[in-house]
Amino acid sequence: MAAEPLIKVENLVKHFVVRLGAFGERGATVHAVDDVNFDIFAGETLSLVGESGCGKSTTGFTLLNLQKATSGKVIFQGENIVSLDEKRMRPYRRELQIVFQDPYSTLNPRMTIGEVVGEPILFHKLATKAELPEKVTRLLADVGLPARFASRYPHELSGGQRQRVAIARALACQPKFIVCDEAISALDVSVQAQIINLLLDLQEKYGLTYLFIAHDLAVVRHISDRVGVMYLGRLAELATREQLFSNPLHPYTRALLSAVPEADPELEKTRQRQILVGDVPSPLAPPAGCRFHTRCPIAMDKCRAVVPEWREVVPGHHVACHAVEVGAAG
Amino acid sequence: MTMTPVNLSSTVADDEPPVSLWRDAWHRLLRNKLAVAGLAVVILLAFVAVFGPWLTPYDFLTQDLAARNQAPSLAHLFGTDDLGRDVFSRVVYGTRTAFVVAIVVTTIAVVIGVTLGAMAGYFGGLFDRIVMWFTDMTMSVPNLLLVVVINASLKTPLTAWMEARYQATLNPFYRETIWVDFLLVFGSMALISWPPYARLVRAQVLSIRGRPYVTAARALGLTNRLILIRYIVPNAIGPLIVSVSAGLGTAMVLESAFSFLGVGVNPPTPSWGNMISDGLRVWQHYPHLLAAPAAVLGLATVAFSFLGDGLNDALNPRGSK
Repeated sequence: MAAEPLIKVENLVKHFVVRLGAFGERGATVHAVDDVNFDIFAGETLSLVGESGCGKSTTGFTLLNLQKATSGKVIFQGENIVSLDEKRMRPYRRELQIVFQDPYSTLNPRMTIGEVVGEPILFHKLATKAELPEKVTRLLADVGLPARFASRYPHELSGGQRQRVAIARALACQPKFIVCDEAISALDVSVQAQIINLLLDLQEKYGLTYLFIAHDLAVVRHISDRVGVMYLGRLAELATREQLFSNPLHPYTRALLSAVPEADPELEKTRQRQILVGDVPSPLAPPAGCRFHTRCPIAMDKCRAVVPEWREVVPGHHVACHAVEVGAAG
Repeated sequence: MTMTPVNLSSTVADDEPPVSLWRDAWHRLLRNKLAVAGLAVVILLAFVAVFGPWLTPYDFLTQDLAARNQAPSLAHLFGTDDLGRDVFSRVVYGTRTAFVVAIVVTTIAVVIGVTLGAMAGYFGGLFDRIVMWFTDMTMSVPNLLLVVVINASLKTPLTAWMEARYQATLNPFYRETIWVDFLLVFGSMALISWPPYARLVRAQVLSIRGRPYVTAARALGLTNRLILIRYIVPNAIGPLIVSVSAGLGTAMVLESAFSFLGVGVNPPTPSWGNMISDGLRVWQHYPHLLAAPAAVLGLATVAFSFLGDGLNDALNPRGSK
């Protein structure tokens, strides 16, 4: 792993202000992402996991400056990109791409596949008009689609095929970094496997870096170099895959991992499920102190009052929990 | 890296030509019998509106006082009216009036509605709120009442002003008070017709603006202009086409209603509405004077409404299946 991160996320905050009441007279703040810090290293796959509404997708969107960050920094090539306006952001857009969850609404229904894949190439002047058909054919081949698909419209394709087109569109920009926002969640299991393998092949071929937003821990375990666990807008834990899956430190991570079934029936018999009680509190009024304290089995008085510090307890293993001693990872 | 294509044969066959959504919709429209019938009638009426004066055996103004109130015959297909004018010729000329009014009014309403609605939807904020206040305000006033008030309060002063200008300048333009009629009829009808278009387009833009393909376009770095032209407008236009088709029929009915009330196109210019109004007074004795314009107006309205329904099913296939 390279020492210098490709992207540095520092104290990233994204709040949404919503208007409530019949006349919008009451304002409320949704704490979607709060004070999130992590680095993304070139060539790695960093996964963000957590339940729906925990802010993992918002983190991805805000990181790409598709939503304005409330505060904090995202440093890419020495520039804080979340402070840039659309015009100054444009050169970075080419290098930072995204693949969405829903393959059915990710492509403009009025454009052919060739136009979808060719548009970013022409827009960013990565090829001339004459070279375009060959470029498009090569990109389609990269994602395992035959060249004849270039003249097709999205509605003529299956979900998996559309997702391949969405990946080809992202690749057309020749990016360094791709956010995969639940990119496989909406697909059939057999197609999921194909798309995952495709993403891994492309990573190897083009040296891509992924931020993989997902909730399927089995998939995450398969493809990630490092994994971050989010809860209610905050990062709870971030570690290498080995560290996180063999030695989870945060009580939320432990509960999450205990929910993953084991493939081996003998191991499955001995699996201890740790079931959390209660619901996730509303992000409109997140609990004081540690956001997890309302459901944490080991919560202490301190957890209810003081926000736990984001600490690196052993090299590469970050956690935000009062109950974890430095060096506890062993 | 060579990826072997997997599971790709299922959806797309080699020999089928690609189908764009527009072409697809056109084929679906042609399979709908009522819509095709509606389209045929609309085309026929449009043809009559354009070439009417060359098709009719009589001038619509020629009075033949010897042949007043005649029943339909071979010489006068729809009979003659109380001034001995050929009703068929007047209905034909009324088609032109109906189309001119419908097209002019709908065009003005669509231009205003689409511009304001698209901008309100795309930019949001205060501009959006002000536009929506205006649409709500306009839509809250009963249409007929608003038009009658506008016509009643503005017609006399405008006509007087025109006459005064003519006296002062002797410019022949000011002698034609028909311009006042046109201005008031077109203006007041457009005024009550634009808010539904504005609302429709705003809602479309709002829903499309949040779709992943628009976010993907932003992530590609495309400019706002490109996103509007290539992503938002082509996807927003389907419901607008449906609405315009239905709106043309509605505009014809509106024009007739206003003529009927005496605030529309003034005699002697024939319009279906003022013909119906005239015919209604004598329908017990000369029913053809009422039946002819009323039947053609009904036919036109039904044709536009079938065409609109067909377009709706063709452009939004999910809703119809």
